[in-house]
Formats: sequence, structure tokens, C-alpha cells
Amino acid sequence: MNLVLALVISVLFGSGAFLLLKRDLIRMVGGVILLSNAANLFIVSAGLSRGREPIYPLPPGQTVSDPLVQALVLTAIVIGFGTVAILLGLIYRASTARLPAGEIPAEPTEPAEPVAVTEPPVDRGAG
Amino acid sequence: MLLLPLAITWFGALALTPFDGRRRAIGLAAVGILAAAYLALGWLAFQVLTSGPIEMIAGNWGPGIGIRIRADALGMAFALISVGVLLAALAYEVLGGVHERTLPESLLFMATGLFGVFMTADIFNFYVFFEIAMISSFALASYGKETRHLRAALTFTVVNLLGSVVFLAGIVGLYHVTGTLDMEVVSQRVSGVPAGSVLLIAVLIFVAFGLKLGIFPFHSWVPVVYRDTWPAIAAVLSAALANIGSYGLLRFGAGLMPRELDLTAQGLILIGSMSILYGAFQAVGARSASGVIAWSAIGQVGYILVAIGIGGPVGFAAAILYTIINALNKLVLFLAVGLRGWLVGAAFALAAFSVAGVPPSAGFFGKVALFRAGVTADSTALLVLIVLGGALSLLYLFLLYQRDYWSHPAEVPPSPLPARILVLALAAGVVLLGLWPEPLLALSAKAAAVLPGGG
Repeated sequence: MNLVLALVISVLFGSGAFLLLKRDLIRMVGGVILLSNAANLFIVSAGLSRGREPIYPLPPGQTVSDPLVQALVLTAIVIGFGTVAILLGLIYRASTARLPAGEIPAEPTEPAEPVAVTEPPVDRGAG
Repeated sequence: MLLLPLAITWFGALALTPFDGRRRAIGLAAVGILAAAYLALGWLAFQVLTSGPIEMIAGNWGPGIGIRIRADALGMAFALISVGVLLAALAYEVLGGVHERTLPESLLFMATGLFGVFMTADIFNFYVFFEIAMISSFALASYGKETRHLRAALTFTVVNLLGSVVFLAGIVGLYHVTGTLDMEVVSQRVSGVPAGSVLLIAVLIFVAFGLKLGIFPFHSWVPVVYRDTWPAIAAVLSAALANIGSYGLLRFGAGLMPRELDLTAQGLILIGSMSILYGAFQAVGARSASGVIAWSAIGQVGYILVAIGIGGPVGFAAAILYTIINALNKLVLFLAVGLRGWLVGAAFALAAFSVAGVPPSAGFFGKVALFRAGVTADSTALLVLIVLGGALSLLYLFLLYQRDYWSHPAEVPPSPLPARILVLALAAGVVLLGLWPEPLLALSAKAAAVLPGGG
């Protein structure tokens, strides 16, 4: 079981890291999702133990499985959802800002000039 | 009482979420909420510093079961500086005119996350609050909506998501080898675990916090992000959020895994030294103002890493003191870069002197603390490095000053006067801390005493 989990985690992490390095933004999101799921599986594997379900009252003399990792992985899944949602929001913004073909825009050749906070461009239509 | 600052910012952020943050009233309300939370924090910090750490267990659970919340001098020192930076940046944006509706709430959510990170005594809870702060920073990073802001935000988000995954793996590894999430119990049990497995976990956690701090081998995102984000956001990211990195290295390295920190101390000093030199030389070559400060940020966090590597009461106190002073310098520099007009050049010059460590600015005492740490470590090379780093920072900041403030006088219309006065007041604060540094020195010594081997 440990070996299977280790293999699955490594495959997930490897393919996630591979996708993360793509220029295509949607593939990059896929990479982030795979990476966070590799971490979730890692949490489960950290508390892997044989035993009954940990529900009170417990029958005497029986071992229970570790309930804490369930709570941890649930929290991590929710946080993962949140970060992916934010990332998708950013990518939506990038695509509405007419960036070339959903890609990370190329680095400007000239260093950007400092922005002077003078007149805020009021843009009440969007956002 | 312990949770009061956290509760104020959390409920304040929720209450402001439905409203348009671009309206001045909403912005001022957010400043008021954050100022109230900061006052509550100041009162809490006063209690902690005068009568010892305050502790509670969430949800009335028994000790050893529930999540512990604990305010000690180390956490309070970091919370005071980080949330202070948020307050200054929020006030600056409100005075200059907010461009996006989500800015005030996002900053309040980030303050909630920072309070939580600096006050928790549970490693998984640390991760949760860390993510709250990170998620709001992802939302903030794209502030400004131009292509370069979006580009910087995407880089920042992806790199830091990778860092979060690595950090989570480290935390879970600690849980696996010790069987607990409570920091105090972890620190007791970790010495009974074979050094090899703890060392692997320590490396994972070091990589995660190193990425957050932006030290040399993990720095690739720093120049792009700090250069291209909005000045006030760059100030928040480099002067408030990056503090999680140095706090994490102190709390997890010196607090939970001191054996592994001792084992890798030479490596930390080496990485820190490379960071100092690399950042400084790149900053000399950078052209835009925010680019120079971004590269300088990489060099400045190198000093913190060197001080942590030296360790002991002197080294840890120097690391904390330097984190605080570096945050103040970065705040003033980034805010000043975003402004034009009378008074701004003076504020920039004051902060630049502080970065170089010229008396009577606060930076002088940061450099003195590092120098003392170098003498403790009995290393001539480190003393030479600190002097050389200071000289290089004076060089690149005054090359920048010459280019930006002498060559183009008043071509662009000046920025709003209140924002300029705020930045000058912050710069005056940096000088004031240099003239009367005793409170800061006492705070950093007290904070270092929290750590084993730092008292």
C-alpha cells in the first residue's frame, strides 16, 4: 500500500510539475491541480494506519485509524479549491485584457517606468 | 482578548466585501478597522512584553487536544511590523485614490492571515493562516490591471503555489515523524527522531520559506514581481508578506528543529552571503527604480539568513532587528518610487541612507547588530561582506537617486500632498528609530529569547 501511494504521489507530482512549466495558462492550472492533489495524497499517506473507523463509542481493545489526517486533508482540499479559483480568476483577467492567445505575455524589453500616482484612472465599468 | 485583533480584521473584511472599495468612505472605513486592530495588537503586545506569553486553547478543548493560540514576544514583534506595513500601504492607497474595488478587503484579509500566522502554536494552523495571507496576496498582486501587473501576478501566484505545496509536504512530514501538530510537543519529540528524516523535512521547509523570502537560489520571481507590481503592492509583498519567510525560518528552524539548524548553519551563511553579493551587483546594473529596489531586496534578505545561520542570542536578535528595519526601508522606498513631487526625494534619500546603514538612521543599528553577530562568529570574511554589501547599496541607491530625482526635475505632475506627507512621516520614523533605538533593540532581544538557544 505504501509503495502504491508513493508511486501515485510521485506520478502526480511529476506530471503536475511538467504541466506547470507549460506556457499555456490552462495547462498550467491543470499542473497546479495535480500538484495540490499530490500534496493531499501525501497527507493521507502520512497517517496511514490499519484500524476501525474512529467513531465514538469505541469497542474496547480495538485499534482505530488516524482521524486527524482526514481533517487535515479536508482543509487542504478546500484551500486548494480556493487557490485554483483565484488562479482561474487571474487567467480570466489576462484573457479579457487581450493578451496574446492565453499565454503569459512576453517580458517587456525596456524596463518598466515607475508609475506616478497622480490621477487614478477611474474605471467603474469593470471589476 | 487574544483573538481580538484577528476578529476585528476578519469581521471588518467580511463587512466591507459587498461595497465598492474605490469609494473614499469605504477606504477610510478600512483604514479605521485596520487601525483599531493595530491598537488591539499594540495593547496585546504590551501585555505580552511586560508579563510574559499569553495562551489559550481554541473551542475550550483540553490541553493536548485543541489548537493552541499563543502570543509571545517573537510573534508580537513580527505582527507589529507586518501589520504596521499593511496599515501604511492601505492609508497610502486611500490617500492617493484606490483603483480597484477589492483592495481594502484584500488587505484586511491579509492582516487576518498575518495575525494568525504570528499567533498560532500549531503547525497545521500555521499553514492555514499562511494560505489565507497568500490567497489575499494573489488577489492583490494583479492590482492596477495593466498587462505588466497581470504578468507579475501570474508569476507570483504560480511560484508561491509551488512553495505552498512544498511547505505542506514539510508540515505533514513533521506530523508523520512526531505524531502531533502542536509546536511545543513537536519540539520535544523531534530530538528523538533519526536525524536523516528530520533533515529532509527541514530542507523542504527551508525551500518553502526561502522561496517566500526570495533568497538567492529561489529568487527568480522576485525581480519581475517587485518591479512590475503596483508600488504599494510591492511594498506589501516585500515588507509584510516576506516577513512570514524570516518568521518561519526562525520558528521552524530555531524553534522546532535546532539540531538541524546547527547542522546546516554553514550552508545558510553561504547561501545568505551569495544572496547579498548577487543582489547587490544586479541592483547596480538594474535600470528602473523599482528594479533596483527589487534586486536590493534579494541582497537584504541575505543578511537575515546570515544572522540566522550565526545563531545564538546575538544572531537571532540581529535577524529579528534586521527584518524589522528592512521592512521599514522597503516600505518607504517602494512607496516613494510611486510618487512624484516635492518631499518625495527627501523621503527616498532617508530610506536609502537607512538601507546603506549610515547613522543616524535605523539601518545603522541593523548593521551594528549584524556586525556584532559577525564578531561572535569570529569570521573576518563576514565582517568584510557586511561592509562591502553596505557600500554597494549606497552606490546603487545613489545612482538611482541621481537618475530619478536630479535629471528629470518636475516633468510629471506631483502626486497628492497627503500621500507625500505620509511617506515623509514614515521616513522620519526610520530616522527617529535610529536616534532612539532602545525600544527596538529590547524588542528584538526579547523576541530572540523566546527561541531555544536565543535566550
